[in-house]
Amino acid sequence: MNPILTFLVVLIGFYGLSTSDNIIKSVFSVTIIESGVILLFLNLGNFQGGSIPILSEGVTEIVDPLPQALMITTIVIGSTVTALSLMLCIKVFHHYGTVEWKEVLSREDVKS
Amino acid sequence: MSRKIILLTLLGTLFVVFTMSMIELETLYNDYGKLYFLENGFADTGSRNLVTAILLDYRLFDSLFEAGILLIAVSGVIWISKHDIEEKNAQFMIDKYKTPDLFVTFSRLVYPLMLTFGFYVIINGHLSPGGGFQGGAIVATAILILYYIDADKETNIGLIVTVEKIIYLLIIVLASLSIFTRGTFFTNFFALDASPDTKAIYLVLLNVLIGFKVALGLWTIFTAFLKEGR
Repeated sequence: MNPILTFLVVLIGFYGLSTSDNIIKSVFSVTIIESGVILLFLNLGNFQGGSIPILSEGVTEIVDPLPQALMITTIVIGSTVTALSLMLCIKVFHHYGTVEWKEVLSREDVKS
Repeated sequence: MSRKIILLTLLGTLFVVFTMSMIELETLYNDYGKLYFLENGFADTGSRNLVTAILLDYRLFDSLFEAGILLIAVSGVIWISKHDIEEKNAQFMIDKYKTPDLFVTFSRLVYPLMLTFGFYVIINGHLSPGGGFQGGAIVATAILILYYIDADKETNIGLIVTVEKIIYLLIIVLASLSIFTRGTFFTNFFALDASPDTKAIYLVLLNVLIGFKVALGLWTIFTAFLKEGR
């Protein structure tokens, strides 16, 4: 896949982040941005083609293993960020009774 | 409407900037690192899976703090979800009578298979696709299915987190053992000229520890979410 297409995925995430009214949808948008970044990095090692980076009989051409190893970090951190933000969403819901940005921000006890 | 037009213009600008910077990317890319890993990766680390070789040997320092971030996130989730009133038997969100019988039956069938597959992925992390983080996620999913089978199951989160902390300390100790044999921190503790099969022992040990740590961490996060569903 073309690196430019992966950036389109990132842009879709930005669009969702700036237009969504729901807090949970904002969290999903952050996840979409992460997916775009992961796809971009996997592309970086794949310019010259090749098989998966596992050495066995007759393997001479492999893709670059370094971006794949870095992306494991991204996936783990992405999942933890998602878990933390969803837990905060639950707390917001218990406190204000809603998960809409506008309704939460219009409350008097929220300082914007 | 005007806000949307401004937003689309901004996104279009970002796209154009990115496209301009990406045109030269293929010529900027060099494959020296790839060729080095292809030639020396197996002899250096004893791992046929080069991603595991990088993760557990060349860049072990990164992986340690990656596992640490998971531990910190687990602590954060538990701290945020702490209830004001001490609830000894928190009501779980899963309702035993609303879960379809078919789902429960198939969960019983699939659960041992998933657990076995998770252990396979963890132990074979240096030979086939997988490793500690991926296999740990599979094992955690298999444990979570247990909640569908038995909704009244009680878990002691404090004990799980304590075990997770001990395993994280063990990982750090195992990674630091190389100071005595090789003179540097955070690499394989077998000598550099040992046979790849000997070096694989270290990889399996570290993969198993990381796998258990990730599985326990994800289990804790899921339990915290279940207790929130009041």
